[in-house]
Amino acid sequence: MAIHFSVNQQEVEVGPGEEEMPLLWFLREKLRLTGSKFGCGIGQCGACTVHINGTAVRSCLLPVGQLQGSQIRTIEGLAPTGQLHPVQQAWLDQDVPQCGYCQAGQIMAAVSLLERINQPTDQQISDNMTNICRCGTYTRIRKAIRQAAETHAEKPVTEA
Amino acid sequence: MQNPHRRHFLKISALSAGAMLVSVTLPLRTRSSSAQQPVSPQWCVYVSINRDNSVVMQSPIMEMGQFMRTAGPMILADEMDLDWSLIRFDLNMPTYLTRNRKGDLVYDHAQIGTGGSQTLKNNWTYLRTAGATIRRMMIEEAAERWDCSPERLTARLSQIIDTPTGRKFSYGDLAEKAARRQVDTNKLKLKQPAQFHIMGKNQPAIDARDIVTGAPLFGIDENYANALRVAIDRAPAMGAQIAGYDKKAALAVPGVRQVVEMPHESGPHWPDGETQLRAAGVAVLADSFWAAMRGKDALKTTWKDTHQYAGLNSKAHRETLKALARSDQPGKHLRDDGEVTRALQQADKVLEHCYERSFLAHACMEPLNCIADVRKDSATVVVGHQWPHAAALAVEEIAGIDALKVEVINKRMGGGFGRKGEADYLREAIWLSHKVGQPVQVIWTRENDMERDFFAPAAAVQIRAGVKQGRIHGWHMRHAQTAGEAESHNFPAHLVRDCRIESLAGNEPFPLGTWRGPRQMQQAFAIESMLDELAHAAAADPLAFRLALMEPAKAHPIDYWAADHLDSGRMARCYRSAAEMAGWGRKLEKGEGLGIAGHVTFGTYVAFVLQVHVDDNKQLSLQKAWGAIDCGFAVNPNHIRAQMEGGFIDGLNAALFNEAVIEDSRVQTRNFGQLRWMRMGETPLEIETEIIESDREPTGVGEPPVPPAPAALANAIFAASGLRLRRMPFSEHIRI
Repeated sequence: MAIHFSVNQQEVEVGPGEEEMPLLWFLREKLRLTGSKFGCGIGQCGACTVHINGTAVRSCLLPVGQLQGSQIRTIEGLAPTGQLHPVQQAWLDQDVPQCGYCQAGQIMAAVSLLERINQPTDQQISDNMTNICRCGTYTRIRKAIRQAAETHAEKPVTEA
Repeated sequence: MQNPHRRHFLKISALSAGAMLVSVTLPLRTRSSSAQQPVSPQWCVYVSINRDNSVVMQSPIMEMGQFMRTAGPMILADEMDLDWSLIRFDLNMPTYLTRNRKGDLVYDHAQIGTGGSQTLKNNWTYLRTAGATIRRMMIEEAAERWDCSPERLTARLSQIIDTPTGRKFSYGDLAEKAARRQVDTNKLKLKQPAQFHIMGKNQPAIDARDIVTGAPLFGIDENYANALRVAIDRAPAMGAQIAGYDKKAALAVPGVRQVVEMPHESGPHWPDGETQLRAAGVAVLADSFWAAMRGKDALKTTWKDTHQYAGLNSKAHRETLKALARSDQPGKHLRDDGEVTRALQQADKVLEHCYERSFLAHACMEPLNCIADVRKDSATVVVGHQWPHAAALAVEEIAGIDALKVEVINKRMGGGFGRKGEADYLREAIWLSHKVGQPVQVIWTRENDMERDFFAPAAAVQIRAGVKQGRIHGWHMRHAQTAGEAESHNFPAHLVRDCRIESLAGNEPFPLGTWRGPRQMQQAFAIESMLDELAHAAAADPLAFRLALMEPAKAHPIDYWAADHLDSGRMARCYRSAAEMAGWGRKLEKGEGLGIAGHVTFGTYVAFVLQVHVDDNKQLSLQKAWGAIDCGFAVNPNHIRAQMEGGFIDGLNAALFNEAVIEDSRVQTRNFGQLRWMRMGETPLEIETEIIESDREPTGVGEPPVPPAPAALANAIFAASGLRLRRMPFSEHIRI
C-alpha cells in the first residue's frame, strides 16, 4: 500500500522505491520546500527540524516510509495566511538571524517548545533548544523565545 | 539570465515601465586614479529610482551573516538622502568585473568581496561618494528646472526642497533626466556624521523576513535547470589516490546518471608552502542529491595512500610546536626593543608559560556547494563565495573561457568564516561541468566539509615576562605556528621598553586557511592570559594592572596593512567600559569569577568581561558577558552588537571545543558527533555591549569580537577556581 502523509496540510504520496528517502530530502527535492536545511545528515545540528504530529523532529534521518498518516509541518507552513507566527515575529523583533541558515530549524524547535511549555524557564529553554547556530545567535534566540512566551501568555497560539 | 554587464542593465532600465537605473560617470575620476585599487569611472549600478519615487536597491557587497547586505545600502542611501522606507531590496548581489590596465580581473564599482573585516572600510568612501554624487545630480537637475542656484536647495527623504519657497521635487520626478547629468566632483560634499539619518541608528537586517519564512536564499536551495546533482566520494587520507570502485553498482542506483573520477590537486597555499588543494574523488551525478548520495555509498571506493602527506598527526604536531616555542632555536625577530635579556634579569619576578591552540575547523552551517554551467564560450556559476571573481577566474583557467564572459550569480552564504574564500569548491564544480558538458550542482556532505577543511593553524606561544615594582619589566614572546608568521605590533609591544617577539613555523603540510581573527586569537590568548598571571604575581587587580600598562594614553604609529596606529587610550577605554558594565570589583558568590581580556584586531578595539561559575567538581557554567567595542563610527549599532554576541561565542567555542583532530593524515572530527560545538545551554545567558561613541572612519566588526574570548574565559575560570588553563580546547581540562 502506498504511503500517504500530509505536508503543511497538503496530501502527498511516496512513490515506489522512495520509502528509504529521508523526509528532509523528500521535502527539499521532491516538494521543493527548501526552508528545512541540510546541516549534518546525522540528526545532530537540527537545521532540518520540522514538526511531525506537532512534535519537533530532525528530518534528515527519518525515512518517509515510516510516515504513513502523519501530519508534517515545515517552516513554509508556519504562516499560511502570510501573517507571521508569533515566534517568527519575535525573531524579527529581536533581529536574531546572522547567516540565517539554521534559523528555520531553530524557529521550528522554539514553536514546538512553546506549544508544550508556554512559559519556559531559562533552564527549560536551554534543555529544549539544542540546535547548533554556528554564528552564535543564542542570546538573541533566548530573547525571542522569552518575547514569544509573553505574547503567548496574552493570546494562546493555536495549531496552524 | 544574462551577463549583468552595464550596457545590458541600461537596456533593461529603458524597457521597464517608468523605472530608471542610475549610472553615473565622474569625469574627474579615472581608472588610473588609484594605483592600488583600480576603480572604474562607472558608479552606482545598484540603485533604480521609479517615477513613483520608490527605489529598488541591490546589495553592493556579499552577505555571509556579517550584515553587509544591510550596511552597504545604508551607506549609499544615507548619502543619497533617500527615505529608507521607500526602498525595496532586490535579492541580487550582482558581480561586476572588469580588467585593469595590467589585464588583471578586478571588481567594477563596489568591492563586492568580503573578508579580513575590511569590507566596510573598502567600500566606505566609494559608497558615500556614489551616494553624494546622486544627491548632487538631483539637486542640479532641480536647480535647472527652477532656474535657481543649486546651493539654496536641500535634499531630504527622497525629495529636493527649495526651502525659501517650500516647493519640492521628488527624486522620482527628477531621476530620469538627472541620471544624464555630469557633476563636478569638486562640488560633492560628503555628510558630517551629525547629518546621517540612516547610519548610526539601529536598522534590522533587510532580509530577515525571508530568513524566518524559509525563503530559498542560499546556493544549496537553488534549482538550476537541467543541473545534475553531485555527491563526491573523497579520499579519506590527504594525498590518497583511488585504488578501485564499483562503478556498475553506483550506476544501478535509480536516478544515477554518470560516475566521474576527480583528480587530486596539490599546490602552494596560504600562508606558506604546498598542500593538498583538492582530494582525489569519485563523483556521482544524479537526478537528485539523495540518489547521488546513495550512488556514492554503492561505489565502495578503496584508496591507496601516498607518501606525500603520510603520517600527519595533529596531536604530535601540537607537541612539536610547543617544543619549538620553548626551545632555544632562534626565530625570526619580528620586534626587538631594548634589552630583553637584561630586563628579565633585573625583574623582581619572572613568569614563563606556554599557551596553546589546536587546529580550528570552520564548519559553516551551510555545507559547501556550487552550481556550474560551463558552455562552449560562456559560463554561469551560482554560488555563495566571499570573493566572487574567483569563480570567473576558475572558469577561465579550467575551461579557457574569458572571465568577463562568466556570469557569477551570488547567493547569500550560510556562514563563511574564511572557508568560503577558498577556490576548491568552485573549481571542482567548474571542472566537472566542463568535463560532462552539462550543468552540475555539487553539494558537500558534512563529512566532506569537515574532512576537507583548510584549518586555522595550530599554535604554541611561549612568553617569558618579568614584573618589577608592580609593572611589566621585560617581555619575550615566541610564537610557533603551523606555517606563516605571527603578528608583531599588538600591545604590550610599544608599552614595555624591553620587548622581543619571535616567530617560528612548524612547516608540516597541513591544509591551512583563513579563519575568523585566528592569529589575533592566538596572540590575545597568550598575551591576555599572561597579563593576568603577571597581575596576580604582582598582587595587583587584573583590571588596574592593564589600565596602568596602557598609561599614558597614546596613539603609537604602526606599519600594518589594516591600521596605521595602535592607541592605548582607546584600548583602556574599552577595558574600563566592559569592567564598569560588569560591576568589576563587586562581591561574588562562591565559585563565581570575573575574567577580563581585550585585543585590537584590524584596527578595532574590543574588551570583554565574562562571569563564570565553577563548582567543586570542576563543572563550569558561563553566566554573563559584557563587551565594549571601539570600531570608529558605528554604522549600524544593532548589528555591531550582534557581531559582539556571535563573535564572542565563536571565540568561546574555539576555547572550549573546536579542535580538528588529524591522525595518520585522516581527519577524525568528521561531523558534529565527533566535533563538539557550543549549544544554547553552554552559552552565557546574556551578552551586553557598549559601543564607544566615535566619529572616526569605521573599521570592521566581524572578527574583532572573537580574539579576546579564550583569555577572558581562562581568566574567569582562574578567578572562580584557581585553575589556570593554558591549552585549548579547555573542555579537555574542565567539565562543561
